[in-house]
Amino acid sequence: MQTKTVKVVVTGPFNAGKTEFVRAISEITPVLTERGISSEAERIKETTTVAMDFGRITVDDDLVLYLFGTPGQRRFDFMWEILAEGMLGFIVLVDSARPETFREALSILETFRAYAPTPYVVAANKQDLSDAWELDDLRIALRLDPDIKMLPCVAHDRESVKNVLLELLYSILEEIDLEEQSQ
Amino acid sequence: MKGNLKDFSGTQILNLVSLAKRTGTLDVRRNGTQASLSFQDGKLIYAAMDDDDGSLASVLARDGRITREQASVLAKRARKIGDKQLGLLLIQKGYLTRADIIRSIKKHSAAIVKQFASWQEGAFAFDPGRLPGDDRITVPLDLENIIIEIARVQKRDEQLEEEIPSLDVSLRFVDRPTVKLQDLKLSRDEWRVMKYIKPENTIRMIANRLNMSDRQIRRVVGSLREAGLIELVRVRPRERLTPEQRKEKRAIVHRLIDRIQGIGVAE
Ligand SMILES: Nc1nc2c(ncn2[C@@H]2O[C@H](COP(=O)(O)OP(=O)(O)O)[C@@H](O)[C@H]2O)c(=O)[nH]1
Ligand SMILES: [Mg+2]
Repeated sequence: MQTKTVKVVVTGPFNAGKTEFVRAISEITPVLTERGISSEAERIKETTTVAMDFGRITVDDDLVLYLFGTPGQRRFDFMWEILAEGMLGFIVLVDSARPETFREALSILETFRAYAPTPYVVAANKQDLSDAWELDDLRIALRLDPDIKMLPCVAHDRESVKNVLLELLYSILEEIDLEEQSQ
Repeated sequence: MKGNLKDFSGTQILNLVSLAKRTGTLDVRRNGTQASLSFQDGKLIYAAMDDDDGSLASVLARDGRITREQASVLAKRARKIGDKQLGLLLIQKGYLTRADIIRSIKKHSAAIVKQFASWQEGAFAFDPGRLPGDDRITVPLDLENIIIEIARVQKRDEQLEEEIPSLDVSLRFVDRPTVKLQDLKLSRDEWRVMKYIKPENTIRMIANRLNMSDRQIRRVVGSLREAGLIELVRVRPRERLTPEQRKEKRAIVHRLIDRIQGIGVAE
């Protein structure tokens, strides 16, 4: 039998922690294509992920989960669309300590939601930082619907990454239940 | 020369008449709309479409130089003395100058010929030798520039169809527009469309709401997009799973949950 592959997309603004997130839970080191960044605003980090972060979690011979991190810059939109195709769901990472990126996070979220109406969760990353916003405040800043899950996250802590991924999977189950009821 | 615009486009006909310096009148009929274009030596000299019959009164009214009421009074007058006499009268009385009249007529002819060029179908017939009555004012208009402009508009419409292949997508405002809204001169149609831009509205829904044709809405969306104000967002319909597919998906998700719960525990 052929191995079934399913995918979850990890998105969010530049520097939110996507690469770190994928790396924390993946069996293989994410394939990174780092490249120098030109614009001033992006000098915050020496390099950025131009291709995508790619992680894998093997369930067994028949089933593999792929995690795809999106490149954080909007000029790669066309790749997002391809990524979004057929995904089980997506995770939006937000850098809780950088409110200047919240607007961008919201717009990324809306873009993905329009690409594919799959379940998603929002992970408030970098909760270990002292100036991280609290979840309740973040929820208001991001204008999140009350029924959307917002989860605390520290991307280099595997347990926390696991929790985010599991919550997304629970949301997917809930959605299947809902669909069943509506028939 | 007879045919249908389906096989021979309006621009092609205009090109031919202009290049071959033909004289005569082209009549075109499309769904109850009738257009007549008269040419002399390849130049457009008279244009009429339905109520915009090319008479001086209707041309001046359409250009906003006189009111509709004034136009109907003048039209009555013209029936007796003819457009040429009427024009002279208006000039003598100091209501309008000769240049005003020529400008209005040229504007009228250009507008009609552009409208004609946008028709995709319609029976046409060219009647050589037939020209408007002697009492009519004819103003020769070079077709070259108009043809070039029509071709440009058509090319743009074709490009827009490629850029916006489907109207079943929605629109959104870009995060950081490179232009300031107050620096842009938006048309009335553009403002109307802007009002309906939100994720749940597809372009088609907006067009229907505003009673715009596919071509019109594409033009508006195209220019807003070119101005860097909006971008397209594709919407995929939610897939409807069959009960078997749902069962399979549920099983997959359960297996993923088990696996991920085990990470760092069983290893
Ligand atoms: N303190 C802290 N730093 C983090 C966390 N997640 C990521 N980072 C750091 O934030 C920076 C950007 O992370 P990266 O994964 O490259 O972001 P990406 O642009 O979204 O892929 C890196 O220096 C990471 O080490 C976190 O949860 N806490
Ligand atoms: Mg990265």
